[in-house]
Amino acid sequence: MTNTRQIRKNKLRDFFSQPANIILVVFLVLLTITTIYPIITMILKSFTITTMETMMFPAFDDGDLFVDGWIKLLGGSDWSKARFYTPFIHSLVLSATSSFFAVLIGGIFAFFVCRTNIRWKGIISTLFIFPYIMPSWTIALFWRDFFVNDNIYAYNGLFTSLFGLKVPEWFVFGGFPIGLTLGIHYAPFAYILIGGILKNMDANLEEAATILKTPRSRIITKITLPIVLPALLNTVLLVFASSISAYSVPVFLGSPADYSTLTTSISFFKTSYPSLQYAVGLVLIILGLTILGINNALTGKRKSYTTVTGKSSQISYIDLKAGKTIIAVIGMIIVVFISIFPLIVFFLESVLVDHTSYAVSNWTSLYWLGDPNNKELISSIYMYEGGILRMKSIWKALGNSLLLSVSCALIAGTCGLLTGYAVVRKSNTRLAKIVSTLAFLPYLIPSLAFGLAYLAFAARATFLMNSLALLVLLGSIKYMPFATRSATGAMMQLSAEIEEAAILTGTPWWKRMVRIIFPIQKSSFLSGYLLPFISCMRELSLFVFVIADNRMILTTFMMYFDEKGLPQYGNAINMLIVLVVLFINLSINKLTGASIDKGVGGN
Amino acid sequence: MSRIVLENITKRWGDFVGVDNLNMVIDDRAFVSLLGPSGCGKTTTLRMIAGLETPTSGRITIDGEVVFDSEQGINIPPSKRDVGFLFQNYALWPHMTVYQNIAFGLENLKWSKEEIRTRVDELLALLKIEEFEHRYPSELSGGQQQRVAIARTLAPRPKILFMDEPLSNLDAKLRMEMRVELKRLHLTTDSTFVYVTHDQLEAMTLSSKVAIMEKGILKQYADPLEMYNKPSCIFVGDFIGNPTMNFLDAQYKDGTVSFTGLKAKYITEDGHQINCEKGDSKDVVLGIRPEYIQIRDEGANKGTIFSTLPSGMETTVKININDTIITSVVFGSVDYPVDKEVSFDFTGNSIILFDKENGDNIAIGRLEF
Repeated sequence: MTNTRQIRKNKLRDFFSQPANIILVVFLVLLTITTIYPIITMILKSFTITTMETMMFPAFDDGDLFVDGWIKLLGGSDWSKARFYTPFIHSLVLSATSSFFAVLIGGIFAFFVCRTNIRWKGIISTLFIFPYIMPSWTIALFWRDFFVNDNIYAYNGLFTSLFGLKVPEWFVFGGFPIGLTLGIHYAPFAYILIGGILKNMDANLEEAATILKTPRSRIITKITLPIVLPALLNTVLLVFASSISAYSVPVFLGSPADYSTLTTSISFFKTSYPSLQYAVGLVLIILGLTILGINNALTGKRKSYTTVTGKSSQISYIDLKAGKTIIAVIGMIIVVFISIFPLIVFFLESVLVDHTSYAVSNWTSLYWLGDPNNKELISSIYMYEGGILRMKSIWKALGNSLLLSVSCALIAGTCGLLTGYAVVRKSNTRLAKIVSTLAFLPYLIPSLAFGLAYLAFAARATFLMNSLALLVLLGSIKYMPFATRSATGAMMQLSAEIEEAAILTGTPWWKRMVRIIFPIQKSSFLSGYLLPFISCMRELSLFVFVIADNRMILTTFMMYFDEKGLPQYGNAINMLIVLVVLFINLSINKLTGASIDKGVGGN
Repeated sequence: MSRIVLENITKRWGDFVGVDNLNMVIDDRAFVSLLGPSGCGKTTTLRMIAGLETPTSGRITIDGEVVFDSEQGINIPPSKRDVGFLFQNYALWPHMTVYQNIAFGLENLKWSKEEIRTRVDELLALLKIEEFEHRYPSELSGGQQQRVAIARTLAPRPKILFMDEPLSNLDAKLRMEMRVELKRLHLTTDSTFVYVTHDQLEAMTLSSKVAIMEKGILKQYADPLEMYNKPSCIFVGDFIGNPTMNFLDAQYKDGTVSFTGLKAKYITEDGHQINCEKGDSKDVVLGIRPEYIQIRDEGANKGTIFSTLPSGMETTVKININDTIITSVVFGSVDYPVDKEVSFDFTGNSIILFDKENGDNIAIGRLEF
């Protein structure tokens, strides 16, 4: 007699006796609540009328379900064109531009560093990563403050002050500079991904072509490029997904020229049509998911590229001959321009009394160290609040930023590590595939939309409203994909036998994790903590609409000053953020060996 | 004429010497194997001749043309050396079909479409891979990939073909088949083959000449049978042959050797003198191939069976003589019970005396009890 109930019970017990399965089930529930549920809430919110909107749609009462908002948004009227379709096109254009520049710049640098004997590889490589560590708007602000002139904006920037030349408006404000500066910000990301492939690519593939008398140019176009193409496409899509949700950059470089994007539209709707901000947020999410779909469709075709990882023991560098110095000099000029120069400009702009003049006589330390209680200064300088290093509110914001980032890093890092572990251990099971997709989803949901989703979520779970817990949850889930990615990569390199050897000696699971698995891949796992930390420190769009005024973090503070027209304060805070992030990144890198490139998936 | 001459070739990476002052001549249409344990510099040597690696110093001449000379600063790129190279991992381009992989090199030579078609068809037939023409490498098995790689290498009819352990990724049966085909290919293509392997059997069976290397130094360069019968040193004697040669510590004094409690007269093959003063004793190592230890009832020496490894065609027998284990081979399907006492003789004229100090071959001869 077979007892089916007993059999089922045994099977269940067996299933849950494996820690990897428990982790998968827990994260299936957790990630469903934290990613799917907020999105559902957003959908509902986009169909729910608010008090403010009842004036526009008198037929409805506050809280009624309605579709008229969506119809107004998508209807095609002049209003809908100006508020939705034009921004939609702009968003696509600038994201495409950004992907193009990121892959172009990152790819070229990756090629020279990984494949040629160019000089100063170490320093170029280190400096090139800077723009990714710095907040995304850093380059944008730098671009604006460097190239701006009084024909198109309030004052002359350093470029005009130095050379007396005035660039046209399209060069400073609009789609081109937004795409370019975002592209520069994401170029290191492309550099790390493409560089990883180039480094791992079997050098024999190129040598085989060399032997068959293939000209250098043909090797690059017919062998190297096609082989890195999937990685290239993958990078394009990831940068596209990140760029489309950029908020601060369009604010800095778009608003002055009335160049609106989906993200600035959300900001506009926030005060006038609250339900529509969710609608536009959903459009951003749909775009993100479309990108995931395209990415999945493009990979896993017949021409499998899995053979890319061969033995790469004998990488032969292309000899640039005399060019190795010349190209290195050009490379250095570019990296200095995008990584060191912005810092100098920020510093300069934070020490100017009158931000239109760079004369040394005009320099001041007031915005850094000034006494906040000096009555004379308060009355003489517009909106003077004291030097940022002496402002209590700034220190509080720095404290908030650090607390938030450390919490997010700990949670995201640990959850990512566990998920990565369980997904690799149970790879090929349907459960593992679902959990790994769910864990990657937040990456594709634009920050701004994700923030909105949590705002909607908090409106239902009111205990979360305006709490630090909400911000921590938001940041942790949004940045978990980074940690999952690096943990998955690290786990894949670790053969199961290593853990199995410990299982056979009766070592409990937690001990295997702490004593065996973690120590072996320490630096990769720690990178999974580092990346969420850095991303959180420099994050603005994710938190900008969710954060309460009494819980300002450094980035929102910076935005506050910039909106008030106080560039010295804005620049000083930006400088402070960049220095804190660079300092922490460098110390962790030196102390533990964890690094951004390992987190992103490079080597 | 595709004669390759290496003169004083050295390759250094910092303090590490990969290849040390290598001198070698590879004759036209030869099948030369570079043999040695991993890390001995054989692949580096191959890559240097092909031009994929730059030697630190020395000179390489192919077909009378100097392709590398460190003193004159000559370094002809691999594409101009008219060579083919078969990689260990095949290095097939994953984004191209079998046809495209094979045709690629011919396109570089600006062959016409029809010529390429004809040549590729010829190779597909030669290597029996016609039906895979439109497949991608990832859709082929290891053996099929291997054939495609060979076809791609042969397509432009290179005068010299370099092969870097091309069979090491195949299973034992396929490896045997491919050996036969490679040897036939060598005859049909009329090219010079330079082959890298760590498998002594492969080197022995395929090559017209074997170069054996250890730690970057060329130990012996000879035809396989000469190398088998007259190894230049203990390392070569040990590396070549399976089961391996017996090495027995011995004392040489006034024309006699004493080892493991036995004593015998040592008569050199050509009567040449061993450099050892009369009355002096010298530490030597006796090198005896297993087939020169013959088990027979009337044998002069006695020992007990330690262990046997019958394979059907032959049986490897381990014999214990006074607590030293020696290896013998008996042909035919025979087996012996363990601990049985057997008689045996040391036969043949190819018993070698090595200098214990430096491992060099000092004499070849026979033992007389």
